[in-house]
Amino acid sequence: MKAYRMEVRFTVIMTLLLVAAGNVALFFSIFPVEGMLFGFPIMYIIPILSGWFGILFLAILANHFGNKIDAEIEKANEEEIEELEQRSEGMGEMEDGRDSMAVK
Amino acid sequence: MEETAWQLSNPILGIVAIVAMFVLFYIVSFISNKKSQSVADLYVAGSTIGPVTNGLAMASTYMSLATFLGITALILELQVPFIMLWIQLILSIPLITIIYGTSLRRMGAFSPTHFIRERYGVSASIIAALFMILVSLMYALGQMIGVALAFEMAFGIPYLPGLLVGGLLIVGYVTLGGMAGASNNAAIQMVIIALMFIIPLGAIMKAVGGSGWFFPPLLYADMVPAMVDAMPGFFDYQFSPKWYVSLIGLTIGSLGLPHLAMRIYTASNLKSARNAMVWFTFIIGLVFSATYAMGFVGVYATQTQGVSISSADADKLTLILNLVYNPEWVTALVIAGAIAAGLSTISGNLLAIGALLSQDIITTLKPSIPTKMRVKLGYAAIFTGGIVSILLAINPPAFLVVSILWAFGLAGVTNAPLIIVGVWWKEANKYGAIAASVIGGFLYIIVSPFVFPSVVITGHGVTDGMGLSGAMLAIPISFVLLIIVSYVTNRMPSLSRHLTPDADKRLIERIHGWSNVNPKRYNSQLGAAITVILFSAVAVWALFPWNM
Repeated sequence: MKAYRMEVRFTVIMTLLLVAAGNVALFFSIFPVEGMLFGFPIMYIIPILSGWFGILFLAILANHFGNKIDAEIEKANEEEIEELEQRSEGMGEMEDGRDSMAVK
Repeated sequence: MEETAWQLSNPILGIVAIVAMFVLFYIVSFISNKKSQSVADLYVAGSTIGPVTNGLAMASTYMSLATFLGITALILELQVPFIMLWIQLILSIPLITIIYGTSLRRMGAFSPTHFIRERYGVSASIIAALFMILVSLMYALGQMIGVALAFEMAFGIPYLPGLLVGGLLIVGYVTLGGMAGASNNAAIQMVIIALMFIIPLGAIMKAVGGSGWFFPPLLYADMVPAMVDAMPGFFDYQFSPKWYVSLIGLTIGSLGLPHLAMRIYTASNLKSARNAMVWFTFIIGLVFSATYAMGFVGVYATQTQGVSISSADADKLTLILNLVYNPEWVTALVIAGAIAAGLSTISGNLLAIGALLSQDIITTLKPSIPTKMRVKLGYAAIFTGGIVSILLAINPPAFLVVSILWAFGLAGVTNAPLIIVGVWWKEANKYGAIAASVIGGFLYIIVSPFVFPSVVITGHGVTDGMGLSGAMLAIPISFVLLIIVSYVTNRMPSLSRHLTPDADKRLIERIHGWSNVNPKRYNSQLGAAITVILFSAVAVWALFPWNM
């Protein structure tokens, strides 16, 4: 379940971060800020910069973690299959044992 | 006062620029089309497109004529709030990719409807497909209006002939090209669009006295004091936080756009799809920022330089600025760039309509149709969709962006909830999907000013027209209906025996990359309950006065 939890957490957190980075104007509409940055009003330029570079940064993170989670799921899959095979082998041995006992 | 007739004084320049562009695109389409042998080739280019080409193609599909012409018009009308509205639209591809794009790519889906059919069955998929065709048509409508305006200005001909000539040229190109042509061309188009938007913008900035002309997207701060003197309210947010909350409806809407999601399925593999997302974000951020700068310069020119633009010409602002400040041959190239922007988006829209009609409706109802016939049907559907969007554009709304953003809202109501909940929650079933899509969809259409002008939520023309208020009401209702109806019907034996829960569980596990079914995965009742409570509160809030 580790890879699954990782996948869900990644998707929820990354979605929230992306929505927040793309909607900085919503925060400023609730908590207005005075002042200038790089010659522009802060409430103008920060949403624009966040809506480009902020989201670009998050997209790079999402790219990295998305690939990592794929690898984790693949690994977890192999473990699950191995576990199932071992269990079925175990069951098979028990059945063989019963068969051999029955033959004796 | 007599209105200025904005057009090229030498139409030959416009003809040469547009013809040269179309010749280039037809050649690329023709070469690509030679390789288009199967249905997969036609719609998802055999899933072989690399990350840079795909990122450029995604940006090109998304960066429509709205970006070229429409945004600047609404910045002229609404100023900064419209810029704030547009910023969050960059989230589309990153969110599609992380929430469901890679899952549907893993499934090998042709279109979002393909997933809906596998997940919820034939009835739900046909309803979703019909709504998605309406979404694509409304989206294409905005592009056709822009194409007509560009032709009007290039050749000095009236709107209607401009629409017919431009529209038919584009429909012909898409019908011949298929997705391979569109993807390869879209990448070229993106480069053309960026060059023909940003470089002339730099020249305009230089002409009006801006010192940051060498990087127009961000370097226009020196013009801010003069702007504030001439128009003190330009940077005001104007609206309440509720208006800014309603913008998230557009974000969700972009997740339901069929032609955009299809770009992820053209990726050669999952890593490539994620890489394309990064490229998309970089390119679209650059072009969007340039668009805000163009809108700023447009308002600046009207407020400080005496350039007069009537409201009827607002959608032509970008072209008018070029006509005023740049040589005519530059304006001709910008017009060609604008048409390229419309072309790539209309390609995406029409290919989505083609896939929806031939794959998701006709082939679903008649699965025995041979592959050759399906490809032919696809081409016929693409052509018919194009003709319908031309006919719809004969009597256009005031701003071309309005129909496009309204389409976003409809996609957010009828399509996005089905995909998002369907990918992440095993309990979602066909009854919930049909209830969400039909009730949510009709509610959204009813409260839009286009059907019953007196039945609207805010009474603020642009807010209702762009579907912001309708989406804030209908999208949460759609999510709530999907979850509650699915939850209840799963526990009603008379209805649940018509469901296929085991197949649904296997599908969800498979598209997330799992080989086995684990009942604990993708089954959170807590997550569903939080969504219902939160979204119910938003829907109720949407009904309270907006005080606009």
